[in-house]
Amino acid sequence: MKKIKIKELIEKIEGEAELDFTIEDGRIEDVKINFGFYRGIEEILQGRDAWDALVITPRVCGICNHAHLIAAVRAIEDGYQNAGINLLLSEKAKKIRSFTLACELIQNHMKWFYMTIVPQLEAYLQIDNRQNHALKATYLSSTVTKALAIFAGQWPHSSYAIPGGVSCDPTHLDLMQAEALIDECIRFVEQVLIGMDMAQYLDISSVSQLHEVGGDLGRLMHLIGSSGMATLGQSYDRFIVFGESLLSSSGKSIATAVSKVDPRYVQESAQDESMAKAVTYKKRLYETGPLARGMVAKRPIIKSLHKRYKDALLTRIFARMHEVSLLLTESKRLLRELDLNEPSCTLDIDTRCADFEGTGIVEAARGSLIHQTEVSGGLIHRYEIITPTQWNLSHGSGDEHGIAVEAMIGSKSIQEATFIFRTFDVCSVCTTQ
Amino acid sequence: MGMDKQESVKKLFTAQSAKVDTNRGDAYYEALYVKCQERLDALKKLRPLNNRRDFLSTIEDEGLERRDFLKWASATTAMLMLPASFTPLVAEAATLMNRVPVIWIELSDCAGNSEALLRSDGPKIDEIILDIISLEFHETLQAASGHQAEKQMEEAMEHFKGKYLLFVEGAIPLGMNGQFGTIGAKAETFVDHLHRAAEGAAAVVAVGSCATYGGIPAAAPNPTDAVGVMDVVKGKPIINIPACPANPSNMVGVILHFVLTGQIPELDSLLRPKFAFGYRIHDNCERRAHFDAGEYVEEWGDEGAKNNFCLYKMGCKGPMTFNNCSIIRYNEGVNWPIGVGRGCIGCSEPDFWDKYAYERPMANANIKAPTGGVEKTVDQFGLGLLTAAGIGIGIHAAASAIAGKKENQKEEA
Ligand code: SF4
Ligand code: SF4
Repeated sequence: MKKIKIKELIEKIEGEAELDFTIEDGRIEDVKINFGFYRGIEEILQGRDAWDALVITPRVCGICNHAHLIAAVRAIEDGYQNAGINLLLSEKAKKIRSFTLACELIQNHMKWFYMTIVPQLEAYLQIDNRQNHALKATYLSSTVTKALAIFAGQWPHSSYAIPGGVSCDPTHLDLMQAEALIDECIRFVEQVLIGMDMAQYLDISSVSQLHEVGGDLGRLMHLIGSSGMATLGQSYDRFIVFGESLLSSSGKSIATAVSKVDPRYVQESAQDESMAKAVTYKKRLYETGPLARGMVAKRPIIKSLHKRYKDALLTRIFARMHEVSLLLTESKRLLRELDLNEPSCTLDIDTRCADFEGTGIVEAARGSLIHQTEVSGGLIHRYEIITPTQWNLSHGSGDEHGIAVEAMIGSKSIQEATFIFRTFDVCSVCTTQ
Repeated sequence: MGMDKQESVKKLFTAQSAKVDTNRGDAYYEALYVKCQERLDALKKLRPLNNRRDFLSTIEDEGLERRDFLKWASATTAMLMLPASFTPLVAEAATLMNRVPVIWIELSDCAGNSEALLRSDGPKIDEIILDIISLEFHETLQAASGHQAEKQMEEAMEHFKGKYLLFVEGAIPLGMNGQFGTIGAKAETFVDHLHRAAEGAAAVVAVGSCATYGGIPAAAPNPTDAVGVMDVVKGKPIINIPACPANPSNMVGVILHFVLTGQIPELDSLLRPKFAFGYRIHDNCERRAHFDAGEYVEEWGDEGAKNNFCLYKMGCKGPMTFNNCSIIRYNEGVNWPIGVGRGCIGCSEPDFWDKYAYERPMANANIKAPTGGVEKTVDQFGLGLLTAAGIGIGIHAAASAIAGKKENQKEEA
């Protein structure tokens, strides 16, 4: 038996990762995921004013910065609540936050699809495609982040969410502008991504109807299917969602059985030879992200795909891209429902709380993002950021491999394995911070 | 606040001294015009560096009309602080952007500037320009990855030695012998990587506050001992484009200026291009009239907030922040922080993460006036604030004094 070790560099993600493969008899036997990068954001937060987290944590990541902002603001709000302050956000503030978060997810998914998945798959299958996929990603994400900026001021790195609500006070004109931008995104998705009417697309509930999907998504699914890759990349079939969002409520799903979760059982631990910490729930590893949300929400089309392909890469890729249409439809509804007469912020300026502990949870593009803050005397005593990628990309614990590692084991080439790795939408800056 | 105090504050904040003197006289511009023309003629003779799309046909493909393009060119000419007569030259320079090689590296960062520049915003035309810029190497955008990408970068550096602009995103962690950040299969440290890439560069452009001053990674206690490019690279022209994220228009402005003149733009003492950092947010803020009238937002979501009053009391750092967001805004000009009722956090200033980034009113922030006082409320700010604002202007005055030196440096580019 021949054992060889090969290092492979993964780029085109936010930051870079290194995979150390152990190959035996032409099959991947083990993988170590390393991130050679550390900034110490949690250390930097210690000793600062509790509200500084609102400005500092978004800068953890240039692509999911908005999720960090919302997690940070929720952590403070939760802390205030725990300290006995009754904080009632207006529906308007809640909806605006949901809307801006949805926009961030949409731009992320589209970039991942057009800048990573499609080109990598074409390269792997040696398909020569002269189309400029990157331009499609740029067009849609710039359109949707414009809608985001109407409420948040800028993207990336906005700070418009504040404990008690939001700082913006949109007008009807702003709403119309945002809606026009969302309509343009819907048009683009219908024409280019799914090749069909969005409402009809969202009615699809079983694998047998998936051939109706056209556009680049249809083409990609077809490529994966016809090249025999659909069942690759299976992991433990265990999913977890901590946040409530437009897409699902919280819960965990183990082989389709869904049950409740409690963030208190989340545990972080340092790993050898890596700057990223591993994270477990009751000592077990779970996959988080769009597929987890689809499973926990028991979305028919995701369950149908899962029934046939389990948690393989086809299901994982589809689950992420499916969120684009779901979120566009939902965000349009949010804009329609917004009552501009409600207050933007309900926290009285003199209500400040010096000692509290709070947890803020957000469903970010890559899955559940958790911020925990412990404040005493108005200053941050401890700040913990648990990112989605920490769930998916850890080395493993005890006798179990990490989620992505398990998905890669058994692959017959490094190229195949790295493609599987990318289906998790890897981000190194978030993993190590 | 006493009437005279209010008056003097007002005077200070409207002082012309806070602005750059943009007019340098006809003789200067005539000479520059001829020089630019020669430069562009020379560039035209060069072959485009890569097989990217032709600029004008790209514009048409994108459904933009020539008229839009000319509009953009005249706005950009104004942004670069050149007289309107330069507009045709700027337009021509845009079409020649693929003659100047650019290498882009990412160090200790959040990739937010790449996001801002290459994937999300920037006025439409800037975006297309960026698409045709001769981007010889960019870690995230690269088609190749892994070892192949590394090889491409080596080749680009060798081939364009002495000619390329090096864009750097992210801070440089010096702690633990640089081990907090490594890159590539050989695990080269960020600091070595930067030295190697800077070696053959015509000029180094630091984009974003991380690359300029160390940024968030350098926030106290600076766990990784992070610093900015100017602390590491010596003996090369350096241009800083701070802000978090840096504004794409300013990145394009720097490249365009280089294409047009073969020089780096005029810089202030912090090596920031004056065309972008020559005035304060406060100088051109859309809420300025409310500041002058003493109408402030007093708490989030109050009547003042609904009426777009000034955010000074809510902690706006616009009066001490040099940047042009109030004019060019973000995300294709759709909006900017103050537009959504959030004060400026001073993200383009040194140490903003420690001094400015506070969510609480500036009166309670850590900006210490020389008298040692930290002001409590706007009504008490009197002297303290004057001195704080004075610091901003002081920096600027120093900038003009040092400008001569920087201009010498410019000639080498
Ligand atoms: S909002 Fe800020 S920048 Fe604008 S006028 Fe008020 S203090 Fe100045
Ligand atoms: S308004 Fe202020 S905080 Fe915002 S981007 Fe501009 S300089 Fe930075």
